Amino acid sequence: MTEPAPSPAAKQPAPSSWTARVREWGVRAMPPERLLPDSQPAYMSSWIYIFGVLTIASLTVIIGSGVVLGLKGPAWWHYTGVGHFFNSIHLWAVELFFFCMVIHLWAKFFMAAWRGGRSRTWMTGVISFLISIVAAFTGYVSQQNFDSQWIATQAKDGINATGAGAFFNVLNFGQMYSYHLLLLPVVVVGLVVAHILLVRRNGIVPPLPLSDLVKARPAADGGERAASQAR
Amino acid sequence: MDLAAIVNLNHPATYVHWHFFQMSVSNLVVIVLMIVVFAAAIAVPFRRHHEGDEQ
Amino acid sequence: MSKRLSHRELDAAARHYDGPYKPYDLVKELCVALVLITVLSVALAIVFSSPDEPPSTIAQWSRQMPVDFVTTAVNELDGTSGTAGYGPPYNHNGPGQHAAFLHLQKWLGVSHPIDTAADFVYQPLSTIPDVPQVKIATAAYQAAPAKTQAAWTTAYGNALAKASVGPGNTVKAPPGNYGPLPTMMGALLALAQSGGLDGDLLTSRQFYQTDYTKPLLFMADGGLLAARAQAQHLLGTQWGMMNETGSYPGQVWLWLYTFWYQISPYNSSANADLLVFLTMGVLSLALLLIPFIPGLRDIPRWVPLYRYIWRDHYRAQRRALGQR
Repeated sequence: MTEPAPSPAAKQPAPSSWTARVREWGVRAMPPERLLPDSQPAYMSSWIYIFGVLTIASLTVIIGSGVVLGLKGPAWWHYTGVGHFFNSIHLWAVELFFFCMVIHLWAKFFMAAWRGGRSRTWMTGVISFLISIVAAFTGYVSQQNFDSQWIATQAKDGINATGAGAFFNVLNFGQMYSYHLLLLPVVVVGLVVAHILLVRRNGIVPPLPLSDLVKARPAADGGERAASQAR
Repeated sequence: MDLAAIVNLNHPATYVHWHFFQMSVSNLVVIVLMIVVFAAAIAVPFRRHHEGDEQ
Repeated sequence: MSKRLSHRELDAAARHYDGPYKPYDLVKELCVALVLITVLSVALAIVFSSPDEPPSTIAQWSRQMPVDFVTTAVNELDGTSGTAGYGPPYNHNGPGQHAAFLHLQKWLGVSHPIDTAADFVYQPLSTIPDVPQVKIATAAYQAAPAKTQAAWTTAYGNALAKASVGPGNTVKAPPGNYGPLPTMMGALLALAQSGGLDGDLLTSRQFYQTDYTKPLLFMADGGLLAARAQAQHLLGTQWGMMNETGSYPGQVWLWLYTFWYQISPYNSSANADLLVFLTMGVLSLALLLIPFIPGLRDIPRWVPLYRYIWRDHYRAQRRALGQR
């Protein structure tokens, strides 16, 4: 028979335990019920709210189809039907990804979703968008067909003009492929995870208050504010 | 070797022009779809199918 | 209107929510989304497939456009090609782009040195075995004084503008004093048409190759890639950055990036690329910092889409207040 669980007093971490301190910090910052709540505020009542998760789903399909393409190497999709099919899934998932992400951005903008201490959520979202464009670009120049030849020889001028061409050579297939398969997906996924954790931590932004409802609210809930709104 | 697509898009695109602005019909379709889907997502009522309506 | 509330009050109000919650299954939502997007992606892949225009090779270029190929090779030799005069990161022969005091292209230096005469002409010619005339011609050209070389390349370049394609896909220029150039270029053209130049330009210091800088720069200095691009509406002046080959949807999210290239002062500037990058950099920064920019952050209150998004919530609120 196993020993009974230690009493709560015995669970007090020794002050010098890094592990315990990290665990306590993690649980304090993100209790499980906050990480995976099974309820949401009642104002989450619009189809517009699904575009964030649709963007994540698109990213998942991009990565899944990308893994298949990566497993078989960069030339595979040019000379097999199955390979071309997975390339097609990858391309259309990218279109869906940007489609859903931009609608999600429009929605969050018109909701002013950065309110209430949520500016970092907005900012991680914008940076994800910008880095995704770069990630997509490295994919386009990794296709090893005419499109990649043209895009690379054109884009080099813009990138060289900023000085970035000194260390980011879009004509170097090996370098671009490495960025596309590993470096940028890691960054994008990391940013998306940070973005989601911020959303869970801060909660979904409440609706903008309507003035007639603000004025009508009982005094206990911001009477000063209501009084100052009197026309 | 290639599995033939049902709709073959491997032909030159049609372009719409307006002053100096030009866009392929395919890209225009994508943009119009985005606006339509955005508007629909806001306009279409959101009703829960199981219990759990607003308390 | 809620715009009467100050920004700080709005912010404070958004930090708390004491109202009702309802059950919401996030994991199920994610699973449904995954199935939906997978089905959509697969369906689109089945219906439309994806484009795959085969790449151009130097062999194809030299066979389809031999005069253009030789003209480009002469330009690489005399330093008048795009790559030859590019500047950093390839060489020091050009100033690079700048905006006011920002000379980023120059400051970051030459990181991928390319000597167009050596890399695109002398070195490939030196690999041709058992044709002593080519070695003699190349040596004669390299030994000649710079003024003589310039006279040859200028005369030959002008003649090529009136050249025709001869038997065996060779180039026939009108007679003139071009020194050893016809021999050198004839050999280079034959090497290219046999496929040898594609491999030659790819080879560098090692066996395994993944860097296509040299063959791509050489081809881009010529007219084949641009001719194919124009046919596919991919040129900068055709808003090409947004487009895909064929009738496929392209990169719609680049619309604003390519827009600037179409208007003044960008469309007539030698520094257009840097200017567009800087413009987009500033706009991206503005997008990032919207929460802190007065005016921009108030647009959602002025364009009240939120009244429709949250109409259920406002209705419920009114009902609750009406019942008190």
